[in-house]
Amino acid sequence: MDYFEKHIRDNKALFDEHKADRSKMWAKIESELSNTNPKVVPLWKSPLFRVAASIVLVLLLSILIGITVYGGQQSGSQNNVVSQELLDIDMHYSNLVQHQVQLVKNHPDLSQEDKNEFLSFMDELDEEYGVLKLEMEKNLGNERVLEAIIGNYKKRIELIENLLRQINDSKMINDDYGYTL
Amino acid sequence: MKTNIRFTHQELVEKSKLGDRNSQFQLYEQYVDAMYNVSMRMLCSKEDAEDTVQDSFVEAFKNLGNFRYESTFGSWLKRIVINKSINHLKLKRIPLVPIIDHEYHLTEEPIENIKDIDIEKVKRGIKQLPPGYQQIIHLYLIEGYDHEEIGEVLEISKSTSKSQYHRAKKKLLEIIKEM
Repeated sequence: MDYFEKHIRDNKALFDEHKADRSKMWAKIESELSNTNPKVVPLWKSPLFRVAASIVLVLLLSILIGITVYGGQQSGSQNNVVSQELLDIDMHYSNLVQHQVQLVKNHPDLSQEDKNEFLSFMDELDEEYGVLKLEMEKNLGNERVLEAIIGNYKKRIELIENLLRQINDSKMINDDYGYTL
Repeated sequence: MKTNIRFTHQELVEKSKLGDRNSQFQLYEQYVDAMYNVSMRMLCSKEDAEDTVQDSFVEAFKNLGNFRYESTFGSWLKRIVINKSINHLKLKRIPLVPIIDHEYHLTEEPIENIKDIDIEKVKRGIKQLPPGYQQIIHLYLIEGYDHEEIGEVLEISKSTSKSQYHRAKKKLLEIIKEM
């Protein structure tokens, strides 16, 4: 350091020639500091919070897994209930139809031609039933399909009942006629 | 002894860290004029210097938790003021270092020493220097920064700081001589 530099540094206080407007500047500083939001300590930095967060996470995962598995089982059992219900309806109508078809087949007053015509109707309804049953397996919750299956059975029973009524009616006319004579 | 200087105003600093407004105000009172003069020398504008010093105090008080007595509180605060002033000059696109090509001047020409220099002449002489020369003269001669610190503040190499200071001082002495 030469003489010039030393001279300046020794007298550097003389370079402080300005006076700050202290009160005005402090007012702004204080206002800025007051407006500052309180310092936020991130919760995740606290070890206690980390433990609590881990527990919550584990609980949430357990609940999620529980819902998935139990919900799946429930849904399965619900499907089983629907399936069982469908099976019962199917069994009931199937037995009813089989019984009546057998009655038609064994009926002595019906010609073979009438029997064949009737059975061909029943075959068509059987095919329709097959399609509906496949549809039902795909979508058990579809009430319209279920209704269509029941409708299919009812139509078959109605057909059989009509046929049997016709046979009985013709028999009664003949009997009346005979009785009149 | 040196260690003790670093802990100047320790009580006030510690209370200020906790947000004690009265302690913050006392620190402000202690340093505001010095900081204002640092900024005025660099920015040559009352309004700019006021804004810069206000921002510096706010930043200092907000980040006081990071102050670990590695220097005095005054030095720490002054560094904030100088950095903010430099940033202000950058925003205004005022050159921090003279644009004159300096890299090829490897030797320093001897400077004629002047004795009994009037400080008022020095002040006026500094104001006549190009802005880049003014900054380096202020930082080295008045703020007492060494060339390494100046290099950090102005983002230049230590050797560039040295050569620029040498040129600035030479120019300043020429101006003073002609007064």
